[in-house]
Amino acid sequence: MHTAAIDPPGIEWRRVSPKYVTVRLVEWAAGNLLFVALLSLPLVFVLLGWWLWPPLWLAVAVPAAMFLLALWRLVLIPRQVRAIGYAERDEDLLIRRGIFYQRTMVVPYGRMQYVDVAVGPVERALGLCTLKLHTASPGTNALLPGLPAAEGARLREQLTARGEARLAGL
Amino acid sequence: MDVNREAPAVDADWHRVHPASPFVRGWVALVAVVVFFGRDIFERALQGRELVDEGLNGRIVWLLAGGAALLLVTVAGFVLSWYFTRYQLSEGYVRVNTGFLFKQQRQARLDRVQAIDIVQPLLARIFGLAELKFEVADAGESVVRLAYLPIGQAKQLRATILGRAAGIAPGTADGAEAAPVPEAPEHVVLSVPHGRLVGSLLLSEQSFFVVLGAITSVVFSVLTESGAVVLYLIPAVLGLGAAYWKSFNKGFNFTAAISPDGIRLRYGLLDTQAQTVPPGRIQALRITQPPLWRILGWYRIQVNVAGYGGNPGNDNAARTTLLPVGGMGEVMQTLALVLPDPGTPDPYPVFAAALNGLDSDAGFTTTPRRARLLAPLGWRRNAFLATGTALLLRSGRWWRQLVLVPHQRTQSMALSQGPVARRFGVADLVLHTTAGPVVPRLIQADVGEAVALFDQQAARAREARKRQTSEQWLAELSKAGSLPVPARLQPAQPLQPPAPLQPAQPLQPPAPLQPAQPPTNATPTTQEEPHNG
Repeated sequence: MHTAAIDPPGIEWRRVSPKYVTVRLVEWAAGNLLFVALLSLPLVFVLLGWWLWPPLWLAVAVPAAMFLLALWRLVLIPRQVRAIGYAERDEDLLIRRGIFYQRTMVVPYGRMQYVDVAVGPVERALGLCTLKLHTASPGTNALLPGLPAAEGARLREQLTARGEARLAGL
Repeated sequence: MDVNREAPAVDADWHRVHPASPFVRGWVALVAVVVFFGRDIFERALQGRELVDEGLNGRIVWLLAGGAALLLVTVAGFVLSWYFTRYQLSEGYVRVNTGFLFKQQRQARLDRVQAIDIVQPLLARIFGLAELKFEVADAGESVVRLAYLPIGQAKQLRATILGRAAGIAPGTADGAEAAPVPEAPEHVVLSVPHGRLVGSLLLSEQSFFVVLGAITSVVFSVLTESGAVVLYLIPAVLGLGAAYWKSFNKGFNFTAAISPDGIRLRYGLLDTQAQTVPPGRIQALRITQPPLWRILGWYRIQVNVAGYGGNPGNDNAARTTLLPVGGMGEVMQTLALVLPDPGTPDPYPVFAAALNGLDSDAGFTTTPRRARLLAPLGWRRNAFLATGTALLLRSGRWWRQLVLVPHQRTQSMALSQGPVARRFGVADLVLHTTAGPVVPRLIQADVGEAVALFDQQAARAREARKRQTSEQWLAELSKAGSLPVPARLQPAQPLQPPAPLQPAQPLQPPAPLQPAQPPTNATPTTQEEPHNG
């Protein structure tokens, strides 16, 4: 499986569900398409002759550029989802993400204060969930999206059990 | 409504704060009411006229009655708020009840106490009162306040809380009041002279921009040939004056002392504050040196303590400052307090290189040369070094900075790499710590080294956590047999001066963590108490 230079050697990453791509697609559509549609309004007004400014080329160029950017993001989504990985080690949980901007994170079980499982409407329809780990640090942004519900529940129980066994103070 | 009737059994050890406290807190409201309604009469009295004008006779009475009623209601509110504010110390918890319409009970676990402050605003100081404020590591609003107590009682309570938190003075099982824990003896380690405080303010970052702003405005006024610019400067000068005054007021008379309870910090000109940070509660530490301070070799030390929080404000800026300004010697002494075991056999050169060094002196690993385009000035200074007990991260060629994170305090870590960094074969490592001014981040380290550090650091943090098993620091030490428990219960016996006072060996462990004191007797705490109480 794909590993990058900053991943610790010898890690067998577990991937999140491929169905998570759908969730991301819905989010993409809700965000980017709406934005492009809003940016296209001046074009419509100019075409209808209601507005004299901006000039036609500008009214076309802005939404077109945004649309291209949105398309680029769309193309990246499947790869980004594939790049999300996690690995349970004996003492800590590793989470990685990103293609261009990669991040590999380690959260020791003994440091976890609590574990959240969140399910959004689209995720629920697909039987997925999002796991979030909290430590005493606000900087710990350990989000594990797109887990199958059963795997999410298993992971939550597992993490809580291991966390209790190894819990240290701050 | 009445707590008394609901739970008479526990009422015995519930205490109230000082009756004057609501007045000390709300004196502004009282003064406002009196001034608003009494001004007219007061002015008449001054002018020697009759107190009540005949023509306005009817109205003045109503006005006075209204004022009196408002005053009465305010005072009644104060009395009620005082009556319903009570606190209790039992079974490892502190509980504070407040409010009579909207009741609130706040409870804090003693062994989770992260830091404890005694705050004295000017008025409270005049009346000999103090506010006790302690932080428990919790999400969000975690501070527990007791305002106000007589200063002696506040100190006593602090000693009791710290004693129980340290695990040496367990509350008695039958719920009766435990014998008072005497205050831990302390030893002043360093203080900041007034001259140096003023100097540090004059040479601070702020002053740099003041000078820059002054030059700009002079040039501007010369160019535009108008004196009006000066007028615009007045509010700026006022604001700056206030900022300088705040820094001066907060930093005045700063002293740091060591006691078995932890590090004691005292500061303040009008409002004084005494903080106690128990050993091992410091999550991360940062030493900075603004460019102008380099002339005099000064440094500033800031820390992250769980509960002190990250929201920047003048209060917090002062609270998270461990040393407002100090030379190399003082920095080393402070480091010795925070990190009694530096984890390296020869600490002085290591920390000197960490503060002022470049390249790989004393074993630091810098940004690789191939990445010097990313940080043309800083690449020789960006470096890390892991000792046996802490990770040192150094950065900044002009704005020198050293961040220190004890291994057992690492929460989680993240390696990150963007496309440009990948091109140069470097990566960043972020260590997550509790909210505060210190953000430990290793920038532009060689990928191989960063990954190795990431792995090793996880292992080191694990090992360090295993070694530290209990939050009750003195109980743990006394179990290990390295500290005679009753030592701190004998206030007459002075603390041994901690080793860091000898400049030659600045990073020796301070006395409280060493069996330096002769173990005169080893009787358990409870048997020792009758002698003291």
